[in-house]
Amino acid sequence: MTTHYLVLSALLFAIGGVGVLVRRNAIVVFMCVELMLNACNLAFVTFARQHGNLDGQVIAFFVMIVAAAEVVVGLAIIVTIFRTRRSASVDDANLLKY
Amino acid sequence: MELYVPILVLAVLAAGFAVFSVGIAPFTGPKRWNRAKLDAYECGIEPTPQPIGGGRFPLKYMITAMLFIVFDIEIIFLYPWAVTFDKLGVFGLVEMVLFIVTVLVAYAYVWRRRGLDWD
Amino acid sequence: MTDTITAPTIEYLLLSPLLVVFGAAIVGVLVEAFAPRYLRAAFQVPLTLLSLVAAFALVIFVVVKDGVPNKAAAMGAVAADGPALFIWGTILLLAFVSVLLIGDDFVPSAVAVPGSVEEERAVSEGAAHTEVYPLVLFAVGGMLLFAASNDLLVMFVALEVMSLPLYMLCGLARRRRLLSQEAAMKYFLLGAFSSAFFLYGTALLYGYAGSIDLSKISTSLSSVGGQDSLLFIGAAVLGVGLFFKIGAVPFQMWKPDVYQGAPTPITALMASGTLVAAFGALLRVFWVALGNLEWDWSPVVWAVAILTMVVGAILAITQTDIKRMLAYSSIAHAGFILTAVVATAGAKQNSLALSGILFYLVAYGLTTVGAFGVVTMVRDPGGEAWHLSRWAGLGKRSPKLAMVLAFFLLAMAGIPLTSGFFAKYAVFSAAVSGGAVALVVVGVVASAIAAFFYVRVIVLMFFSDPAADGPSIVMPIATRGVVGFAALATVVLGVFPQPVLDLASKAAQSLFVR
Repeated sequence: MTTHYLVLSALLFAIGGVGVLVRRNAIVVFMCVELMLNACNLAFVTFARQHGNLDGQVIAFFVMIVAAAEVVVGLAIIVTIFRTRRSASVDDANLLKY
Repeated sequence: MELYVPILVLAVLAAGFAVFSVGIAPFTGPKRWNRAKLDAYECGIEPTPQPIGGGRFPLKYMITAMLFIVFDIEIIFLYPWAVTFDKLGVFGLVEMVLFIVTVLVAYAYVWRRRGLDWD
Repeated sequence: MTDTITAPTIEYLLLSPLLVVFGAAIVGVLVEAFAPRYLRAAFQVPLTLLSLVAAFALVIFVVVKDGVPNKAAAMGAVAADGPALFIWGTILLLAFVSVLLIGDDFVPSAVAVPGSVEEERAVSEGAAHTEVYPLVLFAVGGMLLFAASNDLLVMFVALEVMSLPLYMLCGLARRRRLLSQEAAMKYFLLGAFSSAFFLYGTALLYGYAGSIDLSKISTSLSSVGGQDSLLFIGAAVLGVGLFFKIGAVPFQMWKPDVYQGAPTPITALMASGTLVAAFGALLRVFWVALGNLEWDWSPVVWAVAILTMVVGAILAITQTDIKRMLAYSSIAHAGFILTAVVATAGAKQNSLALSGILFYLVAYGLTTVGAFGVVTMVRDPGGEAWHLSRWAGLGKRSPKLAMVLAFFLLAMAGIPLTSGFFAKYAVFSAAVSGGAVALVVVGVVASAIAAFFYVRVIVLMFFSDPAADGPSIVMPIATRGVVGFAALATVVLGVFPQPVLDLASKAAQSLFVR
């Protein structure tokens, strides 16, 4: 039954999405985004199994690569801002508003 | 059954190499003992004492980890190609060489910008 | 294993503009790695500009030699069709002028903490952040691919190739470093969030159609039954990702912050090039893949367009920062363009609406680059004079510059004899002919509100007295050229729009390939 995997993927995606919205540490927010990407990967692989074609598995490869590149860029940005402010809380990033 | 002969040969070769390396090391290598070598093996570096409740790690570790992740995962594209390289022929080879050259450019950049230096 | 895999065919000539831009970016990285520091700028600037010119020339060469191709290239992955080629030309032109704006706006060393000893040393050594140029080229390459991608995976990869360099570029402003870094972090976190949505939408549509090819998704709409929830949720979630990139309300939060914090040349590139590319991708998804679903998505686009126009125009009034104001104006303009997106007639895409959108993108892109060019010229001792009160009386201190900015603002307001008038006319008339009269009424009202804050700046510049310690005007030759070119284009497109309109309608004639 592939449906279970889809439900799991939807749950993971939702957990990630809620995490992005409620967590305050930039690193944790970012990990939640990665969780969402992995939920997508699970959905891709499951659908590939359902449809019996390999597209979904190939897409999962690409998503992993892109996620890795995103991790590197994202962590670099977060580290830079941390070195400046000694804090990675998104609440402290408050110079830009309205 | 003969399908498994190459696998067996490979296993024997691998085991032989491991046994050979371990066996020859005491006779050929220099013997310099220090604390790190006598300690329980973690990664070969003397463990740094940690403050109670964990401490902050220097950024150097993270930069190394980031570089590792990105170069490690890029290589995933070699897998599909390795499975089908004989069917894709010259086209696949050329594309793969181009891909590796592109990754090498990034590597050269990191190397020249001293991203690989520890200090 | 009996199945055979045949090597794909790739139309190298058709894709050559892309290859040139990416190739130059890689060469740029090599220059950064091996050239000594004092030579880097001398290599990078010509390399970047030449590659953009060469790519532009190749776009023209492709069209002249073979005409507009009528099928997707690279095994259906990239659709270099009429609209895509037009958008490529537009993006390359806008990128070229944005690169010319790049001056001393970038940090000498991004790793140095603001105000630290390392930063002072980097400044005194005269270090320059020449990595900016390869990063811009990668971003431009991503934009080109984004607008032309014919399947959702290529679109996702292109989205990231476009966005990742932009996230970094946002954090490199030389002055007001904290603001710039904060903008980079916000842009990154929100951008990554939205691209996760895009990807989940892709996954659901793949689950529905069994393919990520836009045309196959389109044909599957009539053949697959009983999976509607997958399709609808997939399309909606995919739409979130795309609306985020064009900055449509309610996904506009990042735009003012990022536009304000980023170095101004990068803001110019984002306000013009990214918007053009994102609209190319948005149209492709909604018209090609989901064209048969028009009855379901057009009410949503209606609502988003109305919200975008009204919220963009109203919030712009309260701004005191010139770059923030231009950002909200960019949100409102995205709304104006969205009015024409709904003007498709089912699966028969509407070439009138398409050509209107294409013309709008060229006209607005050039005007906005010009406006940001003017912003870089007006300097306080601590950097650009960002607060609007500093602009008071500019018309008396530097009448020519103030006139040019006033002209750009009037063009954005859509006054006749400027390019903005014909652009707005083109999209609104397409929307009317598509039956979206109510939408156009809202659009006209929003334009009137928008005109208020454009005129407010003009009044401020010309009818108030300059402060004694007013900002100084810095006019590097390249920036002056860019602003002059943008002003000229705004006039020419406002007085003789016909050649470009013809070109746009010719590009739109073939519509998107399926």
